[in-house]
Amino acid sequence: MSSSSTALRELQRDLENKANDLSKLQKDIAKNHQVRKKYTIQLGENELVLKELDLLNEDANVYKLIGPVLVKQDLAEANANVRKRIEYISAELKRLDGSLQDLEEKQHSKREAILKVQQRIQSHQAGKAKA
Amino acid sequence: MGKPEVKGTVTSLSSVFPPEEMQKAAKMVEGKLSEKQNEMNQLKEFIADNTSLINLVQKLPDELHHDIMVPFGKAAFFPGRLIHTNEFLVLLGESYYADRTAKQTVEILKRRGKSLMSKVDALKAEMQDLKAEASFFDSTASEVADDLVEIREYEEDNSTERVSQSGPVELESPSVAEADNKVSASEDDEYARLMSRLEELEKEELAAEDEDANANATETETDSDEDELTEAAFHRKKVEGYSSLDHNQRYLVSQPRKQLQQSKGKDPMNEEMSTTYNHQDLTNQLACTGLTAEPVTKGNYGGECEISRGRIVHQDTKMLNPPVNASVPSEKTSLKQIIHDSSRNEKPVQTPKSEFDSSKAFTGSIIEHTENLEKKLPEQKTTSSQSSDSKPSKPVSRFKMQRK
Repeated sequence: MSSSSTALRELQRDLENKANDLSKLQKDIAKNHQVRKKYTIQLGENELVLKELDLLNEDANVYKLIGPVLVKQDLAEANANVRKRIEYISAELKRLDGSLQDLEEKQHSKREAILKVQQRIQSHQAGKAKA
Repeated sequence: MGKPEVKGTVTSLSSVFPPEEMQKAAKMVEGKLSEKQNEMNQLKEFIADNTSLINLVQKLPDELHHDIMVPFGKAAFFPGRLIHTNEFLVLLGESYYADRTAKQTVEILKRRGKSLMSKVDALKAEMQDLKAEASFFDSTASEVADDLVEIREYEEDNSTERVSQSGPVELESPSVAEADNKVSASEDDEYARLMSRLEELEKEELAAEDEDANANATETETDSDEDELTEAAFHRKKVEGYSSLDHNQRYLVSQPRKQLQQSKGKDPMNEEMSTTYNHQDLTNQLACTGLTAEPVTKGNYGGECEISRGRIVHQDTKMLNPPVNASVPSEKTSLKQIIHDSSRNEKPVQTPKSEFDSSKAFTGSIIEHTENLEKKLPEQKTTSSQSSDSKPSKPVSRFKMQRK
């Protein structure tokens, strides 16, 4: 009787741990989503900037706002910078996609493990009720 | 009753769509919808700002310099001048600025406006989808609240489905299933009544046949009755009221149609079922009379197909045929013991019509027959009966022959 109750307690503890892990995973996934969103918006904006820069004449003045300072920049330089930034952002997005998939898989497996533990608990309780 | 196999499932909507979940889903959809609405409002504000900015940028280069109140800090202004009215430092995005003229600025702004509009259109489409979802959830929630039941029936032949819903109390839609629920109860009673009436009429026919065996006059009448019966079976016209059989026939014709709005769920099926029931009863009757039962039944089936004007699904008539045929011969055999009219069955299908036609002439031909007999008697030296037998043209004489 006592052995079964301790086993039951163990199982419940196990369930709690798994539930915590699952909630952590879910938070990670949510963060991932947010960061992805931000990056996606930035990517869109940078592409827009690139389009406008292409429309500019060669001798037009381009400035970059760094902090409170508006710094004059070369058009070619600005173009190159914007392109680099676009590449960087797309790479980041890919990385985030991969990690998101990982997290989702982990979450899935955690859920299954939790279900199993729950089932074991239920069987234990049913056995206890019979005895 | 030869029922074609109808498989069906009855599922209560509340089991498929539990009410709580329905409400939750409805709320979720509403939340999403409100979110989208907010986004839409924001975008519309942007578009309005953009257009006003375009107007301003277009107006500024009209003057060389403008006298304005320049904002200074949080809550101060000082009078100043706006110079270089054609030079604009335009934010391209991502903290990048560019010097542009008014015209070029306007072009940039217009491009921004276009992208905003496309975003608004996409949002509108999403909102429409959400609205459709919400309406679906609302309708199903109301249905679940009303305890509606989904009934699905599968027809074996054509493998068609017909999903019908019927409420326990409400009459939401004039579905046939609803009528079926009401009518099916009365249908069985009426059918029982019909069968009992049929038996009574069978007995009457038997009695009538026995009488015919004795007398000539009555014989001709019943013959004409039988002929007229078959005629009515073919054409469903009003039969001259010779006997109660005709009345019963008319009763049968009208009744099955009312009550046999079957739970098949198809209107052509209904009519077809009623027609097949009709001639099933008729054939039973005719089998009782012992009259050309087999060929007449065949003729009936053919006739029924014509009558229903091609709406009969032949498969179903075939399905009904075996049971009917099974019943008909059994009755026939029992009656054959009483009435020996085997030679009548040899008649082809078309003869009923000719019988009918001849029956009219028949009433007149009785006299002729005797006249012919009288004529023939002096002519022939053989027995008069045999001479009368030799008359092939008039079926009447054959009847007479058999009786003798």
